[in-house]
Amino acid sequence: MKKIYASVSHKLLCLVMAWGIFACSGDQTKVADNSFSVPVEYYKLKNGLKVVLSQDKTAPTVTVAVYYNIGFRIEPKDRTGFAHLFEHMMFQGSQNLGKMEFIKLVQQNGGTLNGSTRFDFTNYYEVMPAHKLETALWAEADRMKGLDITQENLTNQQGVVKNEVKVNVLNQPYGGFPWLDMPQYANVNWFNAHNFYGDLADLDSANLEDVNNFFKTYYAPNNAALVVVGDFETEQAKKWITQYFETIPSATLPALPDISEPKQQSEKRNIKEDKLANKPAIAIAYKMPQRNTPEYYAMGLIDQILLQGQDSKLFGKLVQEKGYTGNVSGGINYLGNMFNYNGPMLWMANLIYDASVNADSIISVFDSAIGELSTVSQEDTELAIVKLRSDFYSTLGGTGVGRADLLASFALFDDDPSRINTLENEFRKITPEVIKKTADEYLRPSNRTILIVDPKAAEQ
Amino acid sequence: MSKLKYYLIIIFLGVVTLPVGAQKQTPPPGGKPKDFVLPAKKVSQLKNGLKSTMVQYGSIPKVTVNLIIKTGNVNEGPNEVWLADLTGDMMKEGTITMDFKTISRKVAAMGGEINIGVGGDQTNVSGSVLSEFAPELIKIMADVVMNPALPSSEIDRLKSDLKRQLSVQKSQPQSQAIESFNSIIYKGHPYGRTFPTQAMLDSYTIDMVKGFYEKNFGAKRAVIYVVGKFDEAAAQKSIDESFNAWKEGPEPNFPPVTPTKSSEISMIDRSDAPQTTIILGLPTITPQHADYVALQVTNSLLGGSFSSRITSNIRENKGYTYSPFSSIQNHKNTSVWYEQADVTSEHTGAALQEIAKEVKTLQNEPPPKAELEGIQNYMAGVFVLQNSTPGGIITQLNFIDFHGLSDSYLTDRVKNIYGVTPEKVSAMAKEHFKYEDMTLVLVGDKKLLQKQIKAHEEAKKVR
Repeated sequence: MKKIYASVSHKLLCLVMAWGIFACSGDQTKVADNSFSVPVEYYKLKNGLKVVLSQDKTAPTVTVAVYYNIGFRIEPKDRTGFAHLFEHMMFQGSQNLGKMEFIKLVQQNGGTLNGSTRFDFTNYYEVMPAHKLETALWAEADRMKGLDITQENLTNQQGVVKNEVKVNVLNQPYGGFPWLDMPQYANVNWFNAHNFYGDLADLDSANLEDVNNFFKTYYAPNNAALVVVGDFETEQAKKWITQYFETIPSATLPALPDISEPKQQSEKRNIKEDKLANKPAIAIAYKMPQRNTPEYYAMGLIDQILLQGQDSKLFGKLVQEKGYTGNVSGGINYLGNMFNYNGPMLWMANLIYDASVNADSIISVFDSAIGELSTVSQEDTELAIVKLRSDFYSTLGGTGVGRADLLASFALFDDDPSRINTLENEFRKITPEVIKKTADEYLRPSNRTILIVDPKAAEQ
Repeated sequence: MSKLKYYLIIIFLGVVTLPVGAQKQTPPPGGKPKDFVLPAKKVSQLKNGLKSTMVQYGSIPKVTVNLIIKTGNVNEGPNEVWLADLTGDMMKEGTITMDFKTISRKVAAMGGEINIGVGGDQTNVSGSVLSEFAPELIKIMADVVMNPALPSSEIDRLKSDLKRQLSVQKSQPQSQAIESFNSIIYKGHPYGRTFPTQAMLDSYTIDMVKGFYEKNFGAKRAVIYVVGKFDEAAAQKSIDESFNAWKEGPEPNFPPVTPTKSSEISMIDRSDAPQTTIILGLPTITPQHADYVALQVTNSLLGGSFSSRITSNIRENKGYTYSPFSSIQNHKNTSVWYEQADVTSEHTGAALQEIAKEVKTLQNEPPPKAELEGIQNYMAGVFVLQNSTPGGIITQLNFIDFHGLSDSYLTDRVKNIYGVTPEKVSAMAKEHFKYEDMTLVLVGDKKLLQKQIKAHEEAKKVR
């Protein structure tokens, strides 16, 4: 019974709670026995919209996903939380669909939908019965053309989002720990280090002009990727996509701000008091190597070796051997996976423990697990790759949302969605030597931030 | 950088405007529905009673295996709450021939891990691995349930983990609310006991764990589901060989249950809480009842979907809450319906009144045909999605097995959803959603709640 109502710790900044078809893990495809290759067709419309089609006729359903290249990282400085508030506005009315009409259109046609805001993109998707593809494309195009938001609707969603922050952070033990907190402690560049959910005061200050400006600046076809996954006919899909999207004018995009993080020189330790929690908790985060470098892929394998699954070193030591905790969570990018971001990132682990245990004992277990990477073998890396591949297949084999997420990310960030089929080779290139070198360089104490929750509530 | 600059510039770009008097376009209706048939299943049974169901599904080279045993918290005594969980945790520690580490490493090499999830009514031993390992995974799972080592050396550590988990869960307002709700509806029954005490957990011994295992595990209570892309003959052979020697064990045992319908109000103080966690609900009909699909349709329309009336009202119109939803929760031979929402503290009473109004409106007037059709389309679409992943397929098949329903529950489901009329929905609302009969749980700041509670008394009088 305990596991059913486990917690309401939503790591995603979402339009709605718990529709439960997010895919947040992944890696790999293989060109060998029992392999699976993802069909990928990629092109751009005249207005710059990136389009990815991936046919899969397993079920008579189709996923339509639109990813805009705007995440909370680069939202306006005096409007923390605005990227996410804006995500909610995308459901509040467009030229041809009034408030609630977009949601009703999708649901009444037998589909489900959601949207979410992440570090480097905001996404919107529908999973529809296959024969409703045209309806979904039309609706996404309609809101890409322009919004029609009233003050009343903005005020309503300010209320909803403030309640979202309350239910997920302010009225929750460990609320925001560590997914929302850690970037604020570990990073120094404002773009990476501000409160992505937003200060309630900033959320209150948002006005219609902000909404209109944000839309004009970032919600242009040349700043977006449209992905269709599922049961459709390619030529017909292309025809509809051209028909509904190609007339939407492109916009001049602003230059990206400098989102880089300086190299960290010394360990940081912070304590956060939590008046609702009754057990201490710890999170340890290391700054990641730059995306798509050999060291980055090595961190993907290290994550598997140290942290993922019951065979991982940290689970073995912290849970099985020492009994400090019942579970260790973590990975690369708490708001997604190691592929769907485009900027500075953390590899992090977190756990809840008893007050009788000293935090330093836990940290020393991390150090000893990391130390063991100096003797990592070819067999260990093979095992890590098998785990990655299996996760990856699960992501590809869901309702289409996980596959669409990877294709959209690779289209937006790398202009190359076919990377989905070559990832495993990148991991295969990583030798035990590269793993050792990466551990030495990135998993050093001076590259980490430690955050400890000091519980102030009474034991229950 | 140029950040500030472009922000200033775009302010002058002006406002998104609509052409005055423009005619709104109608969405394209889409084409003809494609055929949807439930994936075919292959069912068999061993002499000892173990049932197996295999479904070939999808193109991804993975297989999901769930061994579901009809035991869980329902088989605990009043002083044994979470003994089932401790037993499940102990079973994970290894078998008489393989320890935890060996099993973990073996299954990781298949691309997965074995988990044991203990629920109110069922214990689920599950794993998902690369296709070629289906027979080997089945074999290890059989070993885990048939020959657990139940090592006494690990029990203190696992008890500490449960104690920690208990402490954390009891600090969450939603868990506090559900505990209170269950304790009122299912007073004196295992379904009413959500949490143990710390002392209770302390009292559990290795003999109690062994006793729980002996009393509750066996082939007669088990069904194994294998779903995905895999070699069926090899999987079947592995099931036959691996489980052949499992003891029959006991028949499933679900103590009789009579849920309490009570308009009791339970208030749990959470001082200075910015929100109130509301649970409002009552016992309802079970999946075996002829009206169950009509109940589900009514629930979807009233509060169980994003476009439902209660969500449209208290979230999208009033902004009182982010996360309202209503649902039907089933146990063996008993079900409850409830609406749950975390609402801004000062709007607690107003939110309750709006919920009462929506219930009453539906009772007084059948919903417009178009609104109902929209909900029916949504439910039919969701049903397809629920049958489009291995995990989803297992959930569906387990549902009919657990509740003793025939295949027609699934095969006729779409037809039955569309068979519900507006008049039926209104009748269902009258019969099964009487606001004045509902149990109300509020977890929030008590000094505010006491003022708000009057609104609930008034809501009961809404006509």
